Amino acid sequence: MEFLTQALVAAVEMGTPLLFATLGGVISERAGVINLGMEGLLLVGALVAFVTMLGTQSYLAALGAAALVSGTVTMVHGLVCLVLRANQIASGLALTLFGTGLSGLFGDKLIGKTIEPLDNHALPGLSQIPLIGPALFNQDVLVYLSYACVLATWFILYKSRLGLTIRSMGENPEVCDTMGLSVLGYRFWCLVVGGMLIGLGGAYFSLALNSYWVDNITAGRGWIAVALVIFAFWHPLKALAGAYLFGFAIALELRLQLLGIGLSPYFLKMLPYLLTILVLTTVTIRNQRRGLQVMPAGLGQGFVRGETH
Amino acid sequence: MRLAFEKRADSTPLGHTATIIGAVVLALLFGAGFLAAVGVDPLEAYALVVEEVFLSAYGWQDLLVKFTPLLFTGCAVALAAQMRLWNIGAEGQFHMGTVFVTWGSLHLNPDTWGWGMLLVMGLLAVAGGGLWGSIPGVLKARFGVNEIITSLLLNYVAVAWVDQHLFGSWRDPDSNNFPITREFAEVARLPSFGDTSVHFGLVLALIVAVVVAWILLKTKLGFQIQLTGDNPDAAGYAGVNSRLLIILVFAFSGAIAGLAGFSEVSGIHYRLQQNISIGYGYTGIIVAWLARNHPLGIILSALFMAVIFVSAEMLQIEYGLPIAMVYLYQGVILFTVLGSEIFTGYKLRLRTA
Repeated sequence: MEFLTQALVAAVEMGTPLLFATLGGVISERAGVINLGMEGLLLVGALVAFVTMLGTQSYLAALGAAALVSGTVTMVHGLVCLVLRANQIASGLALTLFGTGLSGLFGDKLIGKTIEPLDNHALPGLSQIPLIGPALFNQDVLVYLSYACVLATWFILYKSRLGLTIRSMGENPEVCDTMGLSVLGYRFWCLVVGGMLIGLGGAYFSLALNSYWVDNITAGRGWIAVALVIFAFWHPLKALAGAYLFGFAIALELRLQLLGIGLSPYFLKMLPYLLTILVLTTVTIRNQRRGLQVMPAGLGQGFVRGETH
Repeated sequence: MRLAFEKRADSTPLGHTATIIGAVVLALLFGAGFLAAVGVDPLEAYALVVEEVFLSAYGWQDLLVKFTPLLFTGCAVALAAQMRLWNIGAEGQFHMGTVFVTWGSLHLNPDTWGWGMLLVMGLLAVAGGGLWGSIPGVLKARFGVNEIITSLLLNYVAVAWVDQHLFGSWRDPDSNNFPITREFAEVARLPSFGDTSVHFGLVLALIVAVVVAWILLKTKLGFQIQLTGDNPDAAGYAGVNSRLLIILVFAFSGAIAGLAGFSEVSGIHYRLQQNISIGYGYTGIIVAWLARNHPLGIILSALFMAVIFVSAEMLQIEYGLPIAMVYLYQGVILFTVLGSEIFTGYKLRLRTA
């Protein structure tokens, strides 16, 4: 019981950056833009949050800076693949390389420096619920912010007029264009807002999961988030479930290492990645069997008026 | 008034070359900005690069050494890309190649195998990289699973697999606990040219590039690969078994990346250790993209990426900059090249409303 409670707490902790990143991916992919730059953006968010925290000792400033800088860096991707109509996949890979390079270059001098990690705040009453109480309601403020982001994303995408427009951009940009809406504008800003959320996810690595800077602090989790967007059927509420499932896998890996159950740590390290592949395969097969078309129909396709793809 | 893109009537190869050169110059300017941001005088740094990389014999030697794995991985990525498949997993296939090769060097007796060792180890690399590459291929062909994500995730698994061996039974007992294997036997090493560090892997890489070019441009298989990439429906009507082709292409692509691993362990390090690939697999994606997946263009773009690697290593020694500079420059170059592609087909016009 104690072990399970602890594992669930860790699952939420490990899942939170994945959740932010997956939400960011959901928003931009719903509008029709693939963002393969997640890993790079997570690293940028982590670096900026850490540097700002060192300089200002203010969590708020660190989070704000992480979101703003990640959003700005995402604009490069938007400029290249939307305004200049380049291939979205290649441009996303460039973003990952760019972000990895930025965090490596400017983080080099920070290796070993420490900050005070975020405190947990127990929500009275709720945190007393057995098993899930400590996991969900005795966490730091970023975890609570992630709940708010899930709800807000869900509400905007599925319950508002704006969300209907955004989803139409991903399904059928031609129709949106005919209606006089700016496909480029909507897609660009959805991508940027998504990038800001991914930046917050990056901040979680340096403000909550670690108290010191290490090179390549995200260790490929951005790519797990890329897969999670598909796993979550491009839906914010399912993103929550998916992120915690993978958070649990990562937490379990770390816990099994601590227990020293005889399995090699390097095998355990493979687990989250293998699990992602397994789950992605299962989900793909299931969708095919049921003939589900859940992927936004216009995903990854550029849009130029008068030029059909 | 607003700016708008207007289709060009003509797009020439010369225009294409000019845009690429423009993009690279722009990338160097951006890169200079980042150098300045970490307190390095960019002019001085670029001058040093010219002097120590292009104007010195050692620089050229180092260029050829870095060029070798990039030519392999560039070919690997380009082959799959010709079929519109993204093999982001060359890094992992490279690592699997090194694991299989090292298994051979540790388990085969050099006295009985003699020079046959190298041949067997090369085949092991093909098997290791090919098997690892065929996983995303099978998942894509059989179930339609997104190959970008699976091939990429397998990279992390392959690197952990290498660590598993290095920190486990393969660790050299005389290594003071360093995670390295015993040195390969003399006959398990690729011969070097003279007393340089340029080795026979370079020749192998050039042969692979020519073979890939031949397959793509001159054979029925190559035609089928390109047809399936351009128009899967038409390929289906023409009787192409596209599922089989996907697996085949991924396996072949992985095998080439595996050979890159062979070339590095048997040609440079003579043992398995950590960080044998400093992102060669990922760089293969850029190499292929810059060359527009043309196998012979890859020779040029691999050389260009080798310049980035050698320059970054030099900056690391001279200024203590981290090797992550490589990724930064690669990202910037890919961005500027991608962003400039539109100008080969379009021109910017100021329109008055």
